[in-house]
Amino acid sequence: MRILSQTGLSLKEAQKTEKDPKIKHMPCSSFETTDLSLFVRTSEEDLTTWDRGKIVEALIRETYVDIDTADKISREVEHQIMSSRINVITAPLIREMVDAKLIEHGLERARRMHTRLGMPLYDVDQLILHHNKENANVPHGPEATNLTLAENIKKEYALLNIFTQEVADAHMRGDIHIHDLGFCDRPYCSGQSLEYVKRFGLDLPNALSIAKPAKHPEVLLAHMVKLAASLQGHFAGAIGWDAVNLFFAPYLSGLSDRDVKQLAQIMIFEFSQQAVARGGQAIFSDINIYWEVPKHFEDVPAIGPGGEYTGKTYSEYIQDAQRFAWALFDVYKEGDGSGRPFFFPKPLVHITEKFFNTQGHQDFLLHICDVASEKGNTYFVFDRGETAKISECCRLSFKLKASDLIDARYPWKMRYCALQNLTINLPRVAYNAEGDEAKLFSLLTDLMELTAEAHMQKRVFIEKLLSLGDRGPLALLTMKRDGEPYLRLQRASYLIGMVGLNEMVKIHTGKELHESKDAFMLGLKIISHMKLIADRLSKKHNMHFVLEQTPAESTSYRFAKLDLKHYAPQANDFVRGNIPTGEVYYTNSTYLNVGATINPIDRVMKEGVFHPLIEAGSLTHIWLGEAKPPKESLANFVIKVFKKTNNDQIAFSPEFTTCTECRRTARGLNPACTYCGSEKVEGITRITGYFTKISSWNKGKTGELKDRYRSGEALI
Amino acid sequence: MTSIKFFWKQDCPKCPEAKQIFNGLKEKGFKVTDYNLNTADGLAEGTYHSVLSTPTFLVIDDNEREILQWRGDVPTFEELFAVLMSHDVKPQCMC
Ligand SMILES: [Zn+2]
Repeated sequence: MRILSQTGLSLKEAQKTEKDPKIKHMPCSSFETTDLSLFVRTSEEDLTTWDRGKIVEALIRETYVDIDTADKISREVEHQIMSSRINVITAPLIREMVDAKLIEHGLERARRMHTRLGMPLYDVDQLILHHNKENANVPHGPEATNLTLAENIKKEYALLNIFTQEVADAHMRGDIHIHDLGFCDRPYCSGQSLEYVKRFGLDLPNALSIAKPAKHPEVLLAHMVKLAASLQGHFAGAIGWDAVNLFFAPYLSGLSDRDVKQLAQIMIFEFSQQAVARGGQAIFSDINIYWEVPKHFEDVPAIGPGGEYTGKTYSEYIQDAQRFAWALFDVYKEGDGSGRPFFFPKPLVHITEKFFNTQGHQDFLLHICDVASEKGNTYFVFDRGETAKISECCRLSFKLKASDLIDARYPWKMRYCALQNLTINLPRVAYNAEGDEAKLFSLLTDLMELTAEAHMQKRVFIEKLLSLGDRGPLALLTMKRDGEPYLRLQRASYLIGMVGLNEMVKIHTGKELHESKDAFMLGLKIISHMKLIADRLSKKHNMHFVLEQTPAESTSYRFAKLDLKHYAPQANDFVRGNIPTGEVYYTNSTYLNVGATINPIDRVMKEGVFHPLIEAGSLTHIWLGEAKPPKESLANFVIKVFKKTNNDQIAFSPEFTTCTECRRTARGLNPACTYCGSEKVEGITRITGYFTKISSWNKGKTGELKDRYRSGEALI
Repeated sequence: MTSIKFFWKQDCPKCPEAKQIFNGLKEKGFKVTDYNLNTADGLAEGTYHSVLSTPTFLVIDDNEREILQWRGDVPTFEELFAVLMSHDVKPQCMC
């Protein structure tokens, strides 16, 4: 038997085969394997004649069973097949039959090793025909289907072969969620420095050609986009770029404002239209922008055209850096060809003490607030005190430590990654604790320890792939242009996220986070506990475990669905959304109830209390709805948030309706186009950390959208 | 009732000295509570009051406002006592 075919016979094919006179039925008695006319459909698109020895070979090769057992099992399976009098059998079916025999013989571990991965015909049919909504950034199309099919096999592979059964079962039950299992052979997300491309050009393993360091800004941009696309093939999540406007600056000297604007335009269009790679998925990309020259780059020698030092420091390029930042936001403000907001790259502006001491900051703040109100793109990242951060993912940021600030002298070294993201189902911990607080905390500790195990298992697997070096699947991440591998594994973070703190607290105390001080303090104690355990585990395993606000685009939906199934009827009282329509969810991470009538500054303040505990970054959303507050109010709001709260990051999200007939975009979510009356419209707003079309959202998110309290009016 | 909150950490060099002051206040009859930032309860309370450095003393009034604070620094007992008195923060029981 050869390696087993993925596609079984459809019922029709099978019936046709039954009727086919050319295929003779064998009498069930007296068969000899040699003269059987039983055919096996193999994965190599071949029909081969029956050979019992293939079963024996596979069992010996893939499992630990001895030859006598293998022989015995193969005979039993042969007998079963021959008695059934079928003429054609698929290799996968034979394998399933062998697996059934292994179970009969109590050889469960061998069965696991011998198992085949794949999908039922029905599921594949559904997948090809219908839109998969797990990730709203993946459109529907043949490439997307390929992506999902591959992901499904890799998911199964990961659960069988990377993680222990304990971890895999915890994921399957929904105690925890291992993110991006379909991308199990890659790290999660990463942050890059443009300096790498500037200094080393584009010299990627397996590439057909090598490009020397760019001499012109457009070429540098092309290199940046190509590296981002290559990296998207090596990471599951976001690709972030630090201080993009500053690092571009040495290429902009002498360029007219018009040229700078054009470069900004190309950059944003290139990233937002990169929907050709990976299943038609745009590159989930972030660009970090500074109005000032960040302190750690002030005296760093600048790299310019040709990868050469220009003889100046970055401080001397502040004007060009600012021109570029300004131009980028001009482009964001205009939006795309139909006036829709650009979905990617997401611009993250860092608001620091130095920002407020840098000339022109008032005007720039108004400019980015204008964009925030008009199109919503701007993310305001607050770096208070001496902390420097790079934001990467939906919410992921890397706080720079002392060693990183030394690296800042050689900014191309500033490459960071999070290896994996795991999320804990907090409401379930509360159901299981049954009101016993000690039990609540001990169950949570157990789950944290389990996530650490899962992270270590993933690390072992990625280390194995990396050890194959430039001949392995992650060759790109092992390239050593600066003497160190591109992926600096020893600096990797391991993310531990949470979903449904609000519901957890409600289950335990009867109140939601915003409803009583006791409930709020319990929430804070839970996250404090998680933080302390993460620190303890980091020390113990010498790995950097950090808490993160999981974007949970589909995880909060998945947890809610599973709890409704396994924790009914109790869960019916706590799951949010609409149970009859299946639009159910838990509140994301440490958020307050999205539907609660809380004014924006209170929400930012209260949610911000949790943020210092969540090292990998946090965000508060302000859902504007239809309202378009004046830029001045938003600017005042941003200043207040920086000065008076501990909030890490905020974003304002307007809602739009775009018309597929007249191609115009209006404010608000409307059933029909306000310009031409057409009902062929698409709603657009932020799903978790990015803008996208609402029609692509999963049911949990549409449930949340209906509940969102729009507080834009309060800012007018 | 005005209360004093004292935040400390296990490996903080200035904390033992601050602990003496905490004990002194306690002896004088002030309503003082200590919070160890290495525990979930302590860290939660510290996070709530934006305690970023240890040792920290906060004086909280009935409306949960922080009326006095020493963050990351240790005053002498006399200094602290004088400031408390000047702000009319009295021990719980002066009997
Ligand atoms: Zn229209």
